[in-house]
Amino acid sequence: MAEYFGSKVEDIFNTMPARFLPQGVAGVDVVIGYDISGEGGGRWTVTIRDATLAVAAVAELPKCSVVLISDPETFVGSALGKIDAAEAFGAGKIKFTGDITAVLNVLPKAFSPFKPVVRAGAIIESMPERFKPEKAEGVNLKIGYDLSGADGGAWTMLIKDGTCTLKNGLDSDCTVTMRMAADVFVGLNTGKIDPAAAFGGGQVKIEGDIMAAGTTAKLFGKFEAAGAQEKKGEELISLKCIPTINQRFATGTHMGKWFAGLKDKRIVGTRCPQCHRVLVPPSEVCAICRVRTDDFVEVGPKATVCLIDTVYYASPDPLSGQVRHTPYAGAYMVFDGGTPYESFAMEINPKDMDRIKPGMKVRPVWNTERSGTFTDLLYFEIDD
Amino acid sequence: MAKKQASHAHKKNRNVGIVGIGQTEYSSHKEYQNQAEMINEGIRAALADAGLKLSDIDCVVHGNMELFEMVHQPDMWHELGTGAFGKPQFRITTGGTTGATLVCAADNLVASGMYDVVMVIGFEKLQEGHTTGGITNMADPLWFRHLQTGALTATTATRMISEFGEERAKKASMRYRIMMDKHACLNPRAHRRFGLEYDQMEDLMNTSPMLVGELRLIHMCSQSDGCCVMILASEERAKQITNKPVWIRDHITVHREENINIFGLKIPETTHHCAARKLYARNAITDPITYFNVFEMYDPSSWWGLDWLREFFLLKGDEHITMLENGDWDMDGRVPLNPSGGVISTNPIGATAMLRPAEVALQIRGDAGQHQLRHEVRHGLASGFGGTFWTVLMMLEKELGW
Repeated sequence: MAEYFGSKVEDIFNTMPARFLPQGVAGVDVVIGYDISGEGGGRWTVTIRDATLAVAAVAELPKCSVVLISDPETFVGSALGKIDAAEAFGAGKIKFTGDITAVLNVLPKAFSPFKPVVRAGAIIESMPERFKPEKAEGVNLKIGYDLSGADGGAWTMLIKDGTCTLKNGLDSDCTVTMRMAADVFVGLNTGKIDPAAAFGGGQVKIEGDIMAAGTTAKLFGKFEAAGAQEKKGEELISLKCIPTINQRFATGTHMGKWFAGLKDKRIVGTRCPQCHRVLVPPSEVCAICRVRTDDFVEVGPKATVCLIDTVYYASPDPLSGQVRHTPYAGAYMVFDGGTPYESFAMEINPKDMDRIKPGMKVRPVWNTERSGTFTDLLYFEIDD
Repeated sequence: MAKKQASHAHKKNRNVGIVGIGQTEYSSHKEYQNQAEMINEGIRAALADAGLKLSDIDCVVHGNMELFEMVHQPDMWHELGTGAFGKPQFRITTGGTTGATLVCAADNLVASGMYDVVMVIGFEKLQEGHTTGGITNMADPLWFRHLQTGALTATTATRMISEFGEERAKKASMRYRIMMDKHACLNPRAHRRFGLEYDQMEDLMNTSPMLVGELRLIHMCSQSDGCCVMILASEERAKQITNKPVWIRDHITVHREENINIFGLKIPETTHHCAARKLYARNAITDPITYFNVFEMYDPSSWWGLDWLREFFLLKGDEHITMLENGDWDMDGRVPLNPSGGVISTNPIGATAMLRPAEVALQIRGDAGQHQLRHEVRHGLASGFGGTFWTVLMMLEKELGW
């Protein structure tokens, strides 16, 4: 299977059960489909329901909440942080069909980040680079590695005259040959398996000069997984902070009357004495005529919808600091008794989101508890 | 001196030329520099371009969207990078228009006779802040802050779809987007250079994630880090400093109420149209399409950018879309639009509106590099946009004596 940045597409799915964070997905019920076409790609479904996870490789995708479509290189690169996922979206290299919020909101909480899977081949192939010639003076060895399992293989390493050369396949005249499962070899080299237990427990079989096998460890520097070294080299220091600021604003005369109106379920505006347009909320000055507008008038409360914005992007709600629940709809509307040029913007009752159309009449829905503030007016809904 | 100006032109005490331009590269992150270091890179480039030393600078004008990075007195914080110690310094923030306002202010400072050589710094390091959060949290606290969704809205997309039909409008917006990407690919400093092709139009129209209504991620501008620095000088000093100064002919700023009240049953005149109408009238420009050789527009999304062409050039009906379909806004078209790649590709906000006149000036000088237009650029137009429809519109000239 093809590798990208040292990882395979299937690694991402195969490691999902180990990376799954059940506490992050309470109440989540989604089926996320993945359509990764290209060498080493395939189709997978990831089902998260009742805080449990099911990952399946499939021939054809069933009905999913959302399907992510990408190529193997972009997909693996994004998972590893080697490719900027947002830019890949922008360039159309990652696409979605369905409810994108399922991906944006759920995935970061559902899984710990993907880290490259360490393969036996990568460890062996890095040995000539990790070879320490100064420790190998006078050493003349031919070491065979015979590793079984999916990621296994056979290699022969020759250490002679202070050099280390590696070739594929097992020579018959090795000084020592080590046979074990590939994942045991990985475990030994990454410190996850205790060598004494592995050798003693028969997981590692050694043929030939056992003493020679024992001397090889000091000839090589420690194996470090891809990415680990980059992290170690990080010297940048940054500071992360989330400030919270409580504020209190004076309303001034005109906005004071606006909020007093809301408390009594009334929509108050001001009329310009020159152009006669009605400003809602009320403004102290007509910016077109540049004259004072002190003529308070009541409009609405019903209004005609002009434009609708359906918001999918989850921006932070400045009142709570929480990310807004998406999608939601807002509408620009003109109040009965208002001026056709002057629109008022407000959210739409979520239940009407799919039905709302320009030209429809809407009515305000008031909060039962009103104290002369912006939460007095909850939203508008279709007036039918 | 401005002897030939029409009597209704805005009064200018003396002519002002752009004599130095410096830019950093733009990207989504610059962890290797702090803000002062990033600004310093722009300043060194501008001083080198002008062949000046810091001691030649009489005054510094500094600006960004302060509440994005949430640092007060950034001009003081950046002093080590700006080299402004001991010099008069002004700090300006007018939202998205900041960069354009900076140049207007510097032009006024020099034209008034107050200072001979002024250095203007526009920058943003959006990686260190939160743009959408910043815009939302800065909206009118009494009414609209609770509704604001940053700078994201599909109102223009919805209106264009209803005016020109879904297929034509969506295709035109995506064609605009891909044209901008093609321009950005010629600009090695541009932040986002995707290599989009016109045969991806249909695909992107349907698969790019939706942000608000038909405003999709691909349509929207980037959030970038970077800095632009310009040096402006009086006519006398400009002619001593360089043999190719670019002259700031005139500029206008237009805005209305704070609340977004322009999406009613009828559409009032936009601030862009008002700015263009007034600026052209007082400079006796009757046919802006023929007059201007390049337009660097502040285009926050491909919907807005396309729609605003009609406003800025006082066009009627679907003329702006027909012109797009005919390739009139391409690099070799009638009025090349944003050879730099525009705001959709590169958006370090405090510098964004400043890059518009800076890029026009580079085109007039013939120093734009790979994205230099092939024809001679004598007359340029640059716009800034911000807040709840603020417009700055500026005219730049190769020769004096307009």
